Parts: sequence; structure tokens; C-alpha cells
Amino acid sequence: MFLEIKDLSVKIENKNILKGLNLNINKGEVHAIMGPNGSGKSTLANVLAGKEDYEILNGKVNFKDNDLFDLNIEERAQEGLFLAFQYPVEIPGVNITPFLHSAINSKKKRMNEEEIDNLSFAKLLKSKASDLGINIDMLKRSVNTGFSGGEKKRYEILQMSILNPDLAILDETDSGLDIDALKIVTDGVNKLKTKDNSFLIITHYQKLLDYIKPDYVHVMVNGSIVKSGGSEIAAEIEKDGFQKF
Amino acid sequence: MNIQDNYLKNKRNIFFSENKDIQNHREKLINIFQNDRFDKKNNESLKNVNLKNFIDFNYKYLNPEETSVINNNKENSYSIVSVNGQCSSFKDDKIEIIKILDEDYNDFSKNNTIENNDHFVNLNSLFLNSGFKILIKKNNNIKIKISNIVTDDDLTIFQKNNFICEEGSSLNLIEEYENKNNSMSNILNVINLEKNSYLKHFLIQDNSPNHNLIITSHSSCKKDSSYTQKIYNFSEGYVRNFHYSELIETNSEVDLQGIFFLKDNNTSNNKTFVKHLAEDCKSNQVYKGILSDRSKATYFSNTYVDQVAQKTEGYQLSKGILLSDNASYFSKPELKIYADDVKCSHGSTIGPIDENAIFYLRSRGMSKIAATKILISSFINEELNSIDNEQMSEIIQKKLVRYLSKVK
Repeated sequence: MFLEIKDLSVKIENKNILKGLNLNINKGEVHAIMGPNGSGKSTLANVLAGKEDYEILNGKVNFKDNDLFDLNIEERAQEGLFLAFQYPVEIPGVNITPFLHSAINSKKKRMNEEEIDNLSFAKLLKSKASDLGINIDMLKRSVNTGFSGGEKKRYEILQMSILNPDLAILDETDSGLDIDALKIVTDGVNKLKTKDNSFLIITHYQKLLDYIKPDYVHVMVNGSIVKSGGSEIAAEIEKDGFQKF
Repeated sequence: MNIQDNYLKNKRNIFFSENKDIQNHREKLINIFQNDRFDKKNNESLKNVNLKNFIDFNYKYLNPEETSVINNNKENSYSIVSVNGQCSSFKDDKIEIIKILDEDYNDFSKNNTIENNDHFVNLNSLFLNSGFKILIKKNNNIKIKISNIVTDDDLTIFQKNNFICEEGSSLNLIEEYENKNNSMSNILNVINLEKNSYLKHFLIQDNSPNHNLIITSHSSCKKDSSYTQKIYNFSEGYVRNFHYSELIETNSEVDLQGIFFLKDNNTSNNKTFVKHLAEDCKSNQVYKGILSDRSKATYFSNTYVDQVAQKTEGYQLSKGILLSDNASYFSKPELKIYADDVKCSHGSTIGPIDENAIFYLRSRGMSKIAATKILISSFINEELNSIDNEQMSEIIQKKLVRYLSKVK
């Protein structure tokens, strides 16, 4: 099993958010989690990425034979877990290019792989940016600073394509995107999909799933998964909403 | 020992103590000390100050054995080594340097309007033992680097300098304070900018923990002149940077920037007082601090806009990152505006490092310490990028790397 979440319960500031959540993801699979506002979808994404604001009450998460909770935030990233943020953080003064270069090399270091030099990295970055329709000038700017909503999401996908993660979690990547931007972003994700990596896509709407075809769709309500199945669930939700769950 | 006894005991070693007018003036200053209750709450010059160290001190001064060097190494470029606050006289067709003792002190002190309420300036006037005047002659464009050296332990330097830029001249001035001994320097810089002149003043402060540095500067800008002050304080000892500025004629500008990097129990006190006294003048202030451990800082800022000073632009900004729960930064920017056609603003943001930004960077594989360091660097990135002197930029970067290497 690639990612195995067993009976996970989590709280923040005395409020229980995840309540005995179970989810298994195998290598090469695309899973989608849909759920109403406040159901705990983003909490799940943040807990998996290692955000320290949450208290783990119960449960276990295994990722690539590691106990995920034994790894700190950066170790999880270096092991191949990637979170595309719902609200990417603006960091004025931190230039995109050296930041991403340092990020990829920290991963290579952990994997005992040869670090990538400046020139090769510049070439890689340029080609990936061009695939995503990102202007080269944007790479001279500070991380997410002054970006439009669409640019931020595109930049998240650029980082994902550079870091080439084993498990990518996309937290409402479709929110705030117009149809053209959505297509660019989802094309980027589809290009990255191989039999060796997995995706966990968190979304409210079926629209995103028209572009990225999930193998499994889960419905999350009140901190746990209440129904799992195929794409037909997404269509069901689109038609009837979350009320019946 | 009280101030009066201290003064009387050392009087013969203090400059101008034979001058009757100055003697009378000093007696008034002694009275201020004797009648003052040193109310820390209402006197900004006393905040975070260990009074015993500064008021009750052992006076000691050594005349430098070797006269200071002035080296005209490149055209329009001068290197000065100021030893215990003194440097030798020099004159060419572009600049003139005069020892304070060779100057008429009455003339020298006439610009000093900041005494009385600032005890450190009063001490400077009372115990004056060193200083010099640098004059940039009309229409010259000059670069000067001054290394300020203190030779021995336990010295008390009371130094008064005067920088004058004549009409149409410009001066790029770099001052370095890197002293490792256990001493105290109390320096007053009086800066006069004549019409259409320009002074860009960099101060790099990097003293050891037992060296206390008190710098007070007073700039006065005439028509179309501009004074820029950029302070980079990496000192491990106490540093006080106070600046008083007067924009006395139209279209003059003052741009003040201070960045301080504090750790351990260190303290940095900063104060600015900018007076807009004419139309169409601009002032801009940016003070940023990074504070770890139990370090403390203050920033008091006052921008006064006189009723005649229409079309004033005055901006104040202070920002601080607290890397520890025990570090503190007290900021109080104030505007007093008596004209109606002005653009002024003030702002202050102080807090711990942005945890969301740390999480974001770590989620890409960067360690917590690397993320913290990159965020500290980014916090002052704009100010560092604005340094247009390559040599200065390298010096500051090296000192920043050293500071960051100690961030836990």
C-alpha cells in the first residue's frame, strides 16, 4: 500500500475535525475526495503534509512504508509527498528560482542522488514553465507575490512538476480558476501522471474531475469518509448535492 | 561619582574648558543632570538604558599616538582612520578636514539644537574630547570611508563631528564601527547640506558585546538638498542611533533607513525626529529589526509638519521579526501635522516569523532553520538590494551570513 490512513482522528483548538477516517491509495491511482464546506478535507491535506497546528488523537498513516507521523514536514516532502495549497502563501523577497532549486536538491540529497547544478536546473525550469504556459519573467519574481489566483495555482503545479512527487495532494486547486486556467492546470497534472505516482484530489465540484479522471471518488462528511466508489458518485453529487450524505 | 565631580576632576582633559561661554553653558548642563529625576517613562533617551553605565562612568581618554591617516587613493576618494575620535587635518582643492580643537567651538556648536532633553547629547557637550569637521567644497563629488577605531579598554570617547556639503557638492560617506574593546563612544554628527547638495551616509556598526556606541546625528537641509542615512547594526554591544533632521528650505529630502540584527541580551535604541519647515519637502523612514533571544529594541519616530510646509510627503515604517518569546521591540511612530496639503503615513508591524510561510517552504523540502533564514533574508531583501555600492553590499551580506549562522 502506498498511502494507508487508518482510523485517523484529529482536532484543532478543542474542535474534533477528522473522526476515524480511513483511506487507502495504491501506486498509480487517482483518488478524489469531495465534500461540503467544513467537512475536514483541507484538514486532511494539511495533516498529511505535516502542519503542526493539529493534534493527532488517534490513528496511523503509512506512506511508502514509513510511519508518516515519524517524519517532519520537510522529510515528508523529501520522501515524495507534495501538497498543492488551496491558498498558496505569498513570500515577498524569496525568489522563485533559487527557492525551487534548493527544494529539488534537498529531495535529491535525501534520496542520495546527485544534486542538480544551476544550468541544468534553469533548463528544467524553463521547459516545465513553458509546458504550463508560465511566462519566464514570472520566474524572476518572489514566491506567489502579486500573483493572480490563477497564476498562484499554475505556479503550484509548476512546483509539482519540478519536484515530481510520488503522492500529490491537490487541495481545491480548481477554486478561483477560470475555464482556460483550469484546463492548463489539469493538463499539467495529467502530463505528470504515471503508473508510479498517485494523486489525491480534493474538490467541491465535479468540473475538475471532467479533466482529471479519478479511479476512485470518496465523499467526506463531518470528518470521515461516508461513501466510496467510481466517477458516478461525482455525477450524483453534481446532480443532488451533499445533502443526502 | 556624580556628573559634576566627574567633570571637575577631568576638566583639564576636556576640550574648550578654558572658554568662558562654554564653561557657562556646561554649568547649565550640569544643573540639568543634578535636577533631573531621570524619568524613564517620559524621556525617550533613557528607555532601555542602564543609567549607571552611562551617567556614573569613569572618564578615561587617550590621545592617539599616531596621527590618523588620510589616503587619497583614488581621484575624489578618501580613506580616513579616526583614532579615538580624532583625525589629522587635511586640505586640498576638493575637501578640507579640520581637527575640532583648531575650530572655533562657538561656530561649531551653533547648530546644536537638540541638547537639554537628550542626556547623551548633554554628556557629549560636557565631556567633549575629540572630533573633526569635514567640508566638501562647492560642486565636488566625493567618496569618503571612515574607519572609527578605539585603541584601548575603558575609554570614554565624546566626539563631535561636523559634515558640511557646500552648494552643488555630493558626498558618499561610509563609516565603520568595529571595535572589540570594552569602551564607550558617544558621537554627535552635525550635518549641514547647502543648496543642491547631497549626502549619502552609510553606517556599519559591528562592535563586540562590551563596546557601547551612542550616535546622535543632526542634519539640516537647504533648498534642493538631500540627506540619506543607512544604518546596518550588527553590534553585540549596546547601540543607540538617534537622528534629528530639519528640512529648512523647499524641495529638500531626508531618507532614513535602519536595520538592526540583535541577539543575546543586546539592546538597540532608535529615534528619529524630522521637522518639515518648508514646502515641497520629503521624508521617508524605514526601520527594521530582527531580534532573537532576550534582545530589545525601541523605535521612536516623530515627523512634524509645520503649517508653512505644504505639499509635504512624510512616511514612516517600522517592522520587526521576533525570533523568541523573550525578545521585544517597542515602536512608536508619530505624526504632528499643521499643514493641510500633505501626504503622510505611518505604520508598524512587529511579530514572530510567519508560521504559514515557514510551513509552505518546509512543505517543499526546506528545513525549518533554512526556511527561517530565507525568511529573515527576504524581510530585509528590499533594503539590501537598494545598496548601490558593491563593496558595501558584500560587507553587509557577509555580516548577515554570520548573524544567520547563529540563529537557532
